[in-house]
Amino acid sequence: MKNNLIIGIFLCLASIQIVTPLSMITRRESVLKNGVQFKFKTAPVDPYDAFRGRYVALRFEGDNVSRPKGVPLNDSQNVYALIAIDEQGFAKFSTLSTSKPQGVPYIQAKVRHISRDNVQLDLPFDRYYMEEKAAPVAEEIYRQHSRQDKQDAYLLVRVKDGFAVIEELYVGGRRIEEAVRDAKKK
Amino acid sequence: MNKKAIKWLYQELPELVAKGILTQEVAGKMREYYGEVKRTSRTSVVLIICGTIGALLIGLGIILLLAHNWEQFSRFTRVILSLAPLVIGQGLAFWVLWKRPQSVAFKEGTATFLSLMVGASIALISQTYNIPGDTGTFILAWMFLIVPLVYIMQASLPAAIYLLGVTSWSGSYWDNPAKAVLFWPLAAIITPHFIWALRQEIYTIRTTILSLVMIICISLGTGFSLGKTWSGSWVILFPSIYAIFYLLGWWKFSRLTSNWQRPLRIIGGLGLFVLAFQFTFRYVWQHLDSYSYRSDRMVSGVAVLPDNIITFAIIVIAMLLFYDTVKRKNITISLFGAVPLLAILAYLVRGQSTVLPLLIFNVYLFVLSVSRIIIGIRNNSLGTINIGMLMLAILIIARFFDSDISFVIKGLAFIIVGMGFLATNVLLARRRGVQNEK
Repeated sequence: MKNNLIIGIFLCLASIQIVTPLSMITRRESVLKNGVQFKFKTAPVDPYDAFRGRYVALRFEGDNVSRPKGVPLNDSQNVYALIAIDEQGFAKFSTLSTSKPQGVPYIQAKVRHISRDNVQLDLPFDRYYMEEKAAPVAEEIYRQHSRQDKQDAYLLVRVKDGFAVIEELYVGGRRIEEAVRDAKKK
Repeated sequence: MNKKAIKWLYQELPELVAKGILTQEVAGKMREYYGEVKRTSRTSVVLIICGTIGALLIGLGIILLLAHNWEQFSRFTRVILSLAPLVIGQGLAFWVLWKRPQSVAFKEGTATFLSLMVGASIALISQTYNIPGDTGTFILAWMFLIVPLVYIMQASLPAAIYLLGVTSWSGSYWDNPAKAVLFWPLAAIITPHFIWALRQEIYTIRTTILSLVMIICISLGTGFSLGKTWSGSWVILFPSIYAIFYLLGWWKFSRLTSNWQRPLRIIGGLGLFVLAFQFTFRYVWQHLDSYSYRSDRMVSGVAVLPDNIITFAIIVIAMLLFYDTVKRKNITISLFGAVPLLAILAYLVRGQSTVLPLLIFNVYLFVLSVSRIIIGIRNNSLGTINIGMLMLAILIIARFFDSDISFVIKGLAFIIVGMGFLATNVLLARRRGVQNEK
């Protein structure tokens, strides 16, 4: 009898343990399926920045937003960053809001740093995972395409209800996985 | 009482009865008094170790195999492969609960395996979807998902994993005391299990591991979470923590006998000595008020309360345990447990003069080491005498380095201390030899 109770409790726990990763999966799959696609242009990499080995660390040109007037902000506060598209078709943040925007695409992000005129954001996409052997090659390729003089890397992101999920990383017009495969063949 | 000693006694009993030294009745009463020696212990210890190591290796192997060909798989395959270890772990744990609920080894092994697989699954899913690395949130989610296993499967290694997890979570918020202080309620979740494990007699090895992890995690957790809003409080806080370890180590939770089974007592005592020794140096007291962990974040108002309340509670517990040993007139133990009280005293008088705290702890360590030596001589125990002499030697040598004395005299002091060691040991060994001949 006692053992049945324990098994019952265990089954409850087991289902919670399964539901947790499943909910992570379904939420992201639904964004990848139904979300709106945006291209985020990456920022040049500091050549002295350390290699990560497991993933490509990403930084974006548009993570600096001009500080909205009359909106009190704190460090690590959650904000809504409204998305606009520039002339070249890349996504940019037009402004920040502390209440949920209606009818416009937006991303929920965290305030990293506030200066006098600008707010720097912690975007919910900061890394692109690669297989262990491919990651260092990918980091090298990404750097070559994220320099001051040559900058043609961008990240494809799907967004739905403020929630962003990474789709692909592009360097020089093709997927980074393809670029890594070609580099390995050489 | 030592299990080996009881076994030996039981082997001797028939002979003693046969030779007429004990009556059958007395022998029976002795058996009744010491109880039955449980024979299962050795095999189950080996089983627990093998089972757990096996579980760990299999788990790591699965993850390595998966990571190897990761790139070639579609997202769907990756998701299935990420969830597979978790499901396998759950299946194994379920089978053990269903078919082998009595087996400690199986329960410990499968619970550990499942605990690790929960983390592996979430980590693999995070990689597949490039989820940004918020280590704190990941660890906390993982820990909440596994901590019920500690109670459902009565397993100590998952408890150890949980403790390590909440400690590193607290460490990731070391600059945010209001969050880091949650370490205490989180760690308290496994206290009932810890007490249960201490009361168990047979499976001491896992209790020892859990005690060790507990000591390490509480020491780290204290550093991460407390003393940030009250600068200088660490000189009272850390002695209190180690005094609690040490004094609890003397409680008779179970009949532990060998030294390595008493991490609480040994590490507690060692920690108290190291702290008291540190307090004999001037720099600790000189910089106490100017130096603090205080971070850039301003902590004020209500946010200060948890830190101060927990600090205060720890000090009070140490004082109560100390009072308890003093009341029972156990002088040796009380002497060690007195460090927090002396630290409070030194903290209060340091304003008058920096020499006072130094004086308190130099005298204290002198009394402590001499008392060890005296007790050792009285009980004819070489170990205790040598520990006392070692403590005394460390104190003397440290004071010599502190002061501006020439190298020749310092060197001579070393030689004299060393000769003192040798002479005492030779003398005692001889005395023992003489006693044995008698």
